[in-house]
Amino acid sequence: MSEIVLTSRVRLARNYEDLPFRSRISAAQGEECVQRTLEALRALPQAYTFLPLRGMEENEKKALVEAHLISPDLMEHGESGAVLVRGDQKISIMINEEDHLRIQGISAGENLDEAAENAFSIDDELQKTLSFAFDSQWGYLTACPTNTGTGLRASVMLHLPMLTLLKQMGKVNQLAAKLGLTLRGIYGEGSEAQGNLYQLSNQVTLGRTEKEIMDAVAATARQMAEMEKVFRKKAWDKDAVAFEDQLFRSYGILCNARRMPIKEFMVHWSNLRLGASMEKLPVSINTCDSLLTGVQPAHVQKAAGAALSDKEADAYRSELIRKALNDGGNS
Amino acid sequence: MLCEECGKNQAEVMMTTVINGESITRHLCRECLKKYESGDLQAVLAAVLSAMTAKNQTSDAVCPHCGQTYAAFQKTGMLGCAGCYQAFRKELTPLITRMQGRTQHAGRRPPVSEEEQARQTLMEDLRARMEAAVAEENFEEAARLRDELRAMTPAKEAQE
Repeated sequence: MSEIVLTSRVRLARNYEDLPFRSRISAAQGEECVQRTLEALRALPQAYTFLPLRGMEENEKKALVEAHLISPDLMEHGESGAVLVRGDQKISIMINEEDHLRIQGISAGENLDEAAENAFSIDDELQKTLSFAFDSQWGYLTACPTNTGTGLRASVMLHLPMLTLLKQMGKVNQLAAKLGLTLRGIYGEGSEAQGNLYQLSNQVTLGRTEKEIMDAVAATARQMAEMEKVFRKKAWDKDAVAFEDQLFRSYGILCNARRMPIKEFMVHWSNLRLGASMEKLPVSINTCDSLLTGVQPAHVQKAAGAALSDKEADAYRSELIRKALNDGGNS
Repeated sequence: MLCEECGKNQAEVMMTTVINGESITRHLCRECLKKYESGDLQAVLAAVLSAMTAKNQTSDAVCPHCGQTYAAFQKTGMLGCAGCYQAFRKELTPLITRMQGRTQHAGRRPPVSEEEQARQTLMEDLRARMEAAVAEENFEEAARLRDELRAMTPAKEAQE
């Protein structure tokens, strides 16, 4: 499944019962929200990094968004926002997002169970000493009623190049909508999904258990992955040379280009990952996936350790790509 | 006519939503309809709320805990505090039902608090002592324990 599923994420929305939601919270109450969370999680055995967003450099925040450790929403509310990240980056706890807490479990490949266990462990730890807003009918209460109930969003990131190329995404979207799930492009705006990457997630949060929600997302993701595999095989059987030619062209460009804008990178990256997952290119899936985050705009600036112009950034990006593909392509 | 959702594109489709038994018709462009049909709850919420506002279906309810008005919620889709759910229960019930399709939470719940645990332990103890008193025919003591138990039972449990 990791051929097609890049990551699995589970997030829980939680609010302290005695503090107002974001639209009415004061600065002092926002700070209280941060402090009590830190206090309650002090006893956790693993190392966490605490990152308040206030005073953080803009590029640093963007890099956290690119790594999916914080949401764009949290970045925009940097005054009181903060995040706690576990050393292995499998847990991130956003504070003062739309809800007081957004607890995120993040796992590689198709592993919603692990992501959920990690998120639940934080939920349990916090509820040992603190009380969340809860209603016996509507479950965990959230700032927006679209999240009430379990407060859980389960999502998987899927790479669907063949379904996209062969114009099957309309059908795939309908499959998701029928089950109360949505599929959206992760990179790029509007209808265009850069890198042929999609996020499948649940919309409904009330009246279904956490397990029911996760099972629906996982089962649908598996079905989409199967469809994608069928179309890959069809395309390969039809014209293997054309297929390979496309993969190797992108591989060649990524290995040799001296300037790589992000939009162009996403096109070739999609072919690179397709080739890696079909074992046609001398690159591992892991290399592809870490490259994806590692050369996003804020990561490039961060790696350079200096503010680069667009052209300089494109040049530096190509350098990072060549290095990853030449040194560790098979790791 | 322009799309009632984005106010930018030409409206091409009519969408009818039934809420509180009353149907609300809106004129949308294809882009906004797509958003609505994708099942994106945020889009559904925004569409239903703005349709209600357009129809003057509003409420003058105010949350006594945080001071948020229901009218403000209709504009933003955001509640002010946990107490708003109680204060606007009547208004929110059809809305949440429409969005979520279900009305009763299932799944994880907060653990029972230590106070609650202590209360339950104490009540069990009182009950045992009351039964023992009855067995010993010490009815005066049993009646006293019964009253003590009654005083500790929350009103809701007592009804059940």
